[in-house]
Amino acid sequence: MSLQIKELSFSFGDKKVLKGVSFEVADGEFIGLMGPNGSGKTTLLRCMMDYLPAESETVLVDMKPIHTFTQRELARMFAVVPQSSTTDFTFTAYDIVMMGRIPHISSRFVGESKADAEVVRKAMETTDTLRFATRVFSELSGGERQRVIIARAIAQQPKALLLDEPTVYLDINGQFEIMDLIKKLNKEDGITVVAVLHDVNLAARYCDRIALLNDGVVESIGTPKEVLTPDTIQSVYGIEVVIRKDPFTQAVYVMPRTSVPSIHRHGTRVHLISGGGTGGPIMKALHDQGYSVSTGVVNVLDDDFVSAKDLHIPAVAEVPFSQVSEEAHSENLRLISESSFVVVSSFPVGPGNFRNLEAVKAALDSGKRVFIVRPKEVPSIDFVGGKADALIAGLINSGATITEDISELLVGLPERRAV
Amino acid sequence: MDTSSPNELTNDDLSSVSRRRMLILLGLAGLLAISILVALFIGTLGPIGPAAQHRISYGDALKAIFSRSGEWETIFWDVRIPRVLLAGLVGAALACAGTAMQAVFRNPLADPFIIGVSSGAALGAATAGLIGLTAAVSVFLPPFFAFITALATVFAVYALGTVRGKVYADTLLLSGVAVAAFLGAIVSFLIYFVREQFHQLIFWLLGSLTLASWDMVLVVFIATVIGSLLIFLHGRDLNALLLGDETAHNLGVDPEFLRKLMLGVAALMTATAVAFTGIIGFVGLIVPHMMRLVFGADHRILVPASTLFGGVFLILCDAVARTVAAPTELPVGVITALCGGPFFIYLLRRSRLGGEQR
Repeated sequence: MSLQIKELSFSFGDKKVLKGVSFEVADGEFIGLMGPNGSGKTTLLRCMMDYLPAESETVLVDMKPIHTFTQRELARMFAVVPQSSTTDFTFTAYDIVMMGRIPHISSRFVGESKADAEVVRKAMETTDTLRFATRVFSELSGGERQRVIIARAIAQQPKALLLDEPTVYLDINGQFEIMDLIKKLNKEDGITVVAVLHDVNLAARYCDRIALLNDGVVESIGTPKEVLTPDTIQSVYGIEVVIRKDPFTQAVYVMPRTSVPSIHRHGTRVHLISGGGTGGPIMKALHDQGYSVSTGVVNVLDDDFVSAKDLHIPAVAEVPFSQVSEEAHSENLRLISESSFVVVSSFPVGPGNFRNLEAVKAALDSGKRVFIVRPKEVPSIDFVGGKADALIAGLINSGATITEDISELLVGLPERRAV
Repeated sequence: MDTSSPNELTNDDLSSVSRRRMLILLGLAGLLAISILVALFIGTLGPIGPAAQHRISYGDALKAIFSRSGEWETIFWDVRIPRVLLAGLVGAALACAGTAMQAVFRNPLADPFIIGVSSGAALGAATAGLIGLTAAVSVFLPPFFAFITALATVFAVYALGTVRGKVYADTLLLSGVAVAAFLGAIVSFLIYFVREQFHQLIFWLLGSLTLASWDMVLVVFIATVIGSLLIFLHGRDLNALLLGDETAHNLGVDPEFLRKLMLGVAALMTATAVAFTGIIGFVGLIVPHMMRLVFGADHRILVPASTLFGGVFLILCDAVARTVAAPTELPVGVITALCGGPFFIYLLRRSRLGGEQR
């Protein structure tokens, strides 16, 4: 079933909640509605199920205005799963699922037929709820309850499922269980899915497309990859994020960069020698403290390189699995010479990046202050047969400062203005 | 979890649901018939009762009831039969109205008394009585006035519970409690001003079946049958309403219309009952609860079960009220609370404890 939303506006009293929303949902599509609290997601969903009265010609179901359908006809086309369903009344799980048959039962003078019972059975099988069919609904766990509600929706035999944050009260296991189930209905039975979702990463993983709402308008719509960019998320949610790819599903996922208020950027230059993912936290800490950080030499598959890119920090890069080249080395030395001091992480030293330690030695020899971040209980980082350990010991003898961890480093750094 | 758990539903269970329901209802109807008969035997003059002399024998009683003959015929046909039948009908009406209201307010604590409908009806009927429009003038007058004020009360409460077009069940219930207290105070206020009619007014507050007549039986019968049928036919809709307005709407039910219809019907049933018997508390609250604990929350079984058992409950309570403190009569509300309270607590405890094992 296809849905078209055309210039849909909606107000509660004087408060305009939707201000001209337009988009289409194709038959069999899984679309996520996202946006900050108060952006109009739930109102939009409720207009799409005719629970809130939209103006005519603004919501079209299979090209026909939604108000040309009777409430019963709509009940046989759409099934709704609200955020949470609770009741103080002692319905069994089976009672609840059977309610999904209400729009299909022809008259209030007849009971449910064998066929209705069969539909309910199948719905409960699909959702794996049959085993607690006779238990009282309100005594089930949150995840079990939500599965029962989805079973009820399936028993409605709908063409489209409209879900309002179906996983919001569930633990992480329950969230994936419910989303997997919805995805299965979408893929195997061709049910169109429109879901209001809060969790960007769940949305990115399950939705074909995402419509991102902000203040009553569609800010961006498209595949998760198209919509979930640092810029859009920054402008809609006001938070800095980095976008990565889930290594297993290849779905994009969004990580907030802990939002440290941008403090005074004094711009003291620091060069960080790191590698093997040991530099990220140091880089971030120095960056947040207002230092202008550079780093090198790291190879382009290294997490430290990715971190540097996310923080927009200049990094000297090298091709993976190769020695630090003469070029890269001299670039590294150049950045060192431009910086006020050098910080060294406990990065694993192999034949490929041994030159980085030589660069540190050169820095120390030229009079730069060097800070080595090295926890006491650290496994050996020497993969060059003792040469690295010897060199580091030499550095310490010649005046390099050893710090236990990042906070000790930050305390020990020379007074910014004095440098 | 274990797949062979006893909670698993088999095909047999599915097909026997409706048969089980028929058996439950037949059982309750049988129980009602037995209670009517037993209540007819109970009285100051026996066969079951406190009389020391001149006890009516079972044979004489049966003769009076079924062949309308013998010296006791008038006692049975003019007094006791209409009274027992009125008790049954009023109990049925209050329990059925209570069931509907608990669903509409989505709160198991709602009942005609708590949300002020009983008080509203009592005020209307009492005022009509004070200005001379009593049942003696026309049997339809007290229920008519009671219905007007009960309906006004319901919709006043409903309006108070509605904020910007949205109905909040909690606000609705609290408004009801406030309105009930307010109207109750007005009735008490009237008592102070018209002392000579004190007894008549106290009747509305405590509830009594002493004035029962065949006319009243007929009026309450019509209201109860129509009302309980309407509520029963909306059983599925009431079920859906309990899952929230959004879900109900999605299942093809118009929540707003359903609420208004059910409250109107419940007001009609309550008003006719209260108009003749005053406020009898506890029945509308406790009977639906008992039935829900035993048969579950599905209104297609709950509504008829509550209606039938409401009748049984009030018939038996009235029989006790008539005789336990002979020669005086206790207000029947005292007995409904005394019997209902502990039994209700017992059921509640049992279902809570049982619920944990399940």
